[in-house]
Amino acid sequence: MTEKTAKWIFWGGTSVSLLLFLALTVDTHRQFAALTHADKLSDQVVSGKRAFEKHNCNDCHTVLGFGAYYAPDLTRAYTRLGEASIQRRLESPEIAFVDSYRKMPHQKLSEQEVKDIVAYLAWISQIENQDWPPQHSEKRWKRSTARMLAAARVSPGAAVIEQEQCLACHNLGATGGNQAIRFEWIAKRRDSRWIADFLEDPEKHAPGCGMPAYPHLSLAQRESVGEFIAALSAPSGR
Amino acid sequence: MLYKTQRIAYPYFVVALLLFVLQVIVGLWLATNYFATIPQSVVDVFPFSTARAIHTNLLVLWLLLGFMGATFYLIPEETQRELEWPRLAIAQLVLLAGTGVAAVVGFLFGWTQGRPLLEIPRPLDLLVVVGALMFLANVGVTIIKARQWTVTQGSLLGGLTFLALLYLIGIPFYNNLAVDWYYWWWVIHLWVEGAWELIAAALTAFLLMKMTGVERGVVEKWLYVELGLFLLTGIAGTGHHYYWLGAPRYWLWVGGIFSALEPFPILLMVVDTYRHTKERARPLRPSLTWLYLLGGVVLHFVGAGLFGFAHTLPQINYYTHGSQVTVSHGHLAFFGAYVLLNLTFFYFAMPHLRGFPGGTYDEKAGHWGFWLTSLGVLGMSLSFAVAGVLQTYLERVQGQDFMIAQRPIRFWMFVAFLHGLAVVAGVAVIVWHLLTLKPGAEVREPAKPAPEKVAAQPV
Repeated sequence: MTEKTAKWIFWGGTSVSLLLFLALTVDTHRQFAALTHADKLSDQVVSGKRAFEKHNCNDCHTVLGFGAYYAPDLTRAYTRLGEASIQRRLESPEIAFVDSYRKMPHQKLSEQEVKDIVAYLAWISQIENQDWPPQHSEKRWKRSTARMLAAARVSPGAAVIEQEQCLACHNLGATGGNQAIRFEWIAKRRDSRWIADFLEDPEKHAPGCGMPAYPHLSLAQRESVGEFIAALSAPSGR
Repeated sequence: MLYKTQRIAYPYFVVALLLFVLQVIVGLWLATNYFATIPQSVVDVFPFSTARAIHTNLLVLWLLLGFMGATFYLIPEETQRELEWPRLAIAQLVLLAGTGVAAVVGFLFGWTQGRPLLEIPRPLDLLVVVGALMFLANVGVTIIKARQWTVTQGSLLGGLTFLALLYLIGIPFYNNLAVDWYYWWWVIHLWVEGAWELIAAALTAFLLMKMTGVERGVVEKWLYVELGLFLLTGIAGTGHHYYWLGAPRYWLWVGGIFSALEPFPILLMVVDTYRHTKERARPLRPSLTWLYLLGGVVLHFVGAGLFGFAHTLPQINYYTHGSQVTVSHGHLAFFGAYVLLNLTFFYFAMPHLRGFPGGTYDEKAGHWGFWLTSLGVLGMSLSFAVAGVLQTYLERVQGQDFMIAQRPIRFWMFVAFLHGLAVVAGVAVIVWHLLTLKPGAEVREPAKPAPEKVAAQPV
């Protein structure tokens, strides 16, 4: 190879890559507004982003998969936890994570900051990003909704859930109130016995969680709810 | 050492090495956070996030100070001219090291920009920019006035300018998170797979010319090709970070194809180094410096090239993105590509800076340092890789909850911690060895053609 060829490779390679990259950058900017729903990027959401950065949340958590890998990814935190649950974690992590082997620092957030961060996470959860992350994929929620509908006809637990209007706060599949933790999420972590026990007195297990108690349900009814929820966990892949 | 102002490199190397020690100690604490339960009272005061900000910022700071020191050593010899403003170079070191220390202390009190790897608060960013301008002016004016243009100088100055410009893109506040990450990667990716590669290639070319005696024309011709391939694959390869952040779908193609080619320029670097080493006109002395150079080239390829390729394709990255797989790649790539290169340069330059006859030195302890650190980082990366594969399967494929999937990972983080102990020990040996370097005991004839006698040294 002559020096001339070498120079040609340098300038050719660099300019091809740079031009392609800059052209696609321009086009990506044209599409960002639609893909990220920029019309919903309110002042409160931006304040939430500022609060999120002020407290360095991203150096433990990932969001859109970027950041530190110490704590769960927050891309779909809003759709899996719901507003009230996120609030509780932000306001009193020392209670929310009392049993956890990994703790979250108490950041002494103001009431406004908590609201702003919730709004920010709600906005993030709507970003169209090729359905990442796989464990919170939209498709998976939809599949579990289908499962629930199929199970509801035969499950006594589903009838109790309907009767007590659990989905006014909780999420299941594409329906629910976006206030409390998603059923699929509970299913991954808890068994039916625990859920039945929790329903009797939520404050005992999660002080300050704000969920009403269901002592009027019989143990059998509570266990049927527990079995219904526990059955939503996906034991083997997609 | 031929020029007086080359001596400015020395304080840069010393500060860089001390920060390196601090960085790896904080790393041990981070690993501890993963396998042990840290009580709430400690987490409230010194959370993982603060320690991580310190660990990563110290890394970047010491590597950059090392590169700057290396540049100050290289420039007078390449341009055959003293550095234009030696006092400015010292002021720049004081400014940048001071800014770095202020940032680290600030992190402890919650003063942060709050964006991963770019945590340095915005007011301090301005001081970094001032420091970068001082550096570029000093080096640029020296090169321009000397009029001894070489490709090595061009690559170095180009890389440094590129680096400084990209830093500016990381300073503003972006309202839209997707846009924020889009440009965040202009700093992070285009630094390590663009600007820093230019600097690394230039420093490696310089070391090869000095250590092998191979003709400049040959080395620099291949430098052109390497740089061309680095930038061809590296610039558009940024797309491998744009798969899942809310950017259009074509980035899966662009990122996938270009970044799949990224190992090739690194492979070419390995081949070039091997070829120049074979065609050398001088003996492989001092053997420790050579060990560092070759070790760095090989681990650069393994860590950045192979470990990077392993999870760069979108089909795989969909499951591995944002997991410990990234951590595994990050540690080995940084170590192989930039840590070992810096240490190679320190080992190459120190004997000259200290005026040892024949550029040789007492190597013994240094070999322990190299093997402890390299095997430690390699073992650590493999532990992270096991943790990453576990996380990918349990959390991403099976759909287990994050905290449940993390349970079996704790053991592998403990294994990583044990390797981390070896790394800290190795780094302590390296730093102590470099700072107390002694002339080679068995050199009897310091004059140039004395390879046979030097070869009698124990390895």
